[in-house]
Amino acid sequence: MLTEVHVPDGTAAVVGLMATGARVLAGGTSLMPSLNDHASPETELISLRRAGLGGIRVDGGVVRLGAAATLSRIERDARLAVLRPVVRSIASVPVRTLATAGGNLFARRPHGDLTVALVALDARVTLADSGGTHELPVEDLLAGTAPPALVTEIVFGLPAAGSFRYLKASRRRFNSASLVTVAATVTEVDGVVSAARVALGGVGPGVVRAVAVERALIGSPLDVPAVRRAAEAGLGEISPADDAYASAWYRARVFPVHLRRALLGH
Amino acid sequence: MTIRIVSLKVNGVGKALMAEPGTTLLGALREHLGLMGAKRGCAQGACGSCTVLLDGEPVVSCLVPAVTVDGASVGTVEGLADGQRLSDVQQAFLDGFATQCGFCTPGMIMSAEALLERNADPTDEEINEAISGNVCRCTGYEPIVSAIRTAAAVRRAASPARSREAQV
Repeated sequence: MLTEVHVPDGTAAVVGLMATGARVLAGGTSLMPSLNDHASPETELISLRRAGLGGIRVDGGVVRLGAAATLSRIERDARLAVLRPVVRSIASVPVRTLATAGGNLFARRPHGDLTVALVALDARVTLADSGGTHELPVEDLLAGTAPPALVTEIVFGLPAAGSFRYLKASRRRFNSASLVTVAATVTEVDGVVSAARVALGGVGPGVVRAVAVERALIGSPLDVPAVRRAAEAGLGEISPADDAYASAWYRARVFPVHLRRALLGH
Repeated sequence: MTIRIVSLKVNGVGKALMAEPGTTLLGALREHLGLMGAKRGCAQGACGSCTVLLDGEPVVSCLVPAVTVDGASVGTVEGLADGQRLSDVQQAFLDGFATQCGFCTPGMIMSAEALLERNADPTDEEINEAISGNVCRCTGYEPIVSAIRTAAAVRRAASPARSREAQV
């Protein structure tokens, strides 16, 4: 049951209210479903709607997504074409109007596909608390060891043309949770993979940074045998679970297929 | 618990209501303003029967606390018809029997309105994406997609200049 909804202006006011134990409400697409249940615990919310965090800036190849930038706004931003397939793979149109980039960082399995992409893009977050602001890699934020703070911004560099790959396998073409999500930034020099950053969704308790997959890819041409070896290595670092969308067995079975499709396009 | 006065422009008309923290935009429309078009289905943002336009964009109104949208413009299915004259989307749903039980219809129509506002000539895939958050348990999706396609054609024929503009 909602006992209060604050709608403060500016991040300082949000941070101040967080100290009282109130929870941050961004788009509400994860939080509100639980609060619409009349048996929900008494909850006080701080809406980010007027906090001034909805902007998107792109400057010199560096993208700064306000934590409350909505997925629809990202989808329609011509400068962020690289994220368009990612956003279109998430939820439905009327949910994307509300859902935010910052909120996606806290979406629970099997949701949070934008976060998978952000890990592959080596994104960082800016956090604000009563002591000021500081930056942290998204990966570290997901590890859950940082003290509670307000995410104000997500920052990443636009990848070189053609280097970012994304594929989400789901049961339906639109508006369906992840069975396996693959996001990768792959750099090739003279036909050989020189750098790779691979993140997976739907196959672990949170986003999986697939370091074994990366190691297997680096130093080889990006071809079928190399991707097969990478998938075999990746099977050791995923821990899929059963849910209403698919069994753990099925996810592990199709992971190599979707890794190949994501990296090679076939 | 603070009760707040929330002002909204609903279908172009200024309205005000007293909202509790737990009053959603859907609750404000149905219980405070008597607009029963948007439906309460799942209250989870999953069925789309509560879809309305918030500042011109489609939202699932069950997930929006009313106090967070004070001052916003809201479009509902009640605002589409001009007196007894249905909108092109409404007429296409009626003519194509795209309603069946009718529970999902207001949400479907608002999703379709939002699509056609941005895309005058959508492909079937774009229509499917636009209504992917609207569940029809009569499973009447084919006539719904067909009605949206028809409404788009009617709208383009009625206003070729507007269609070209929307495609730019």
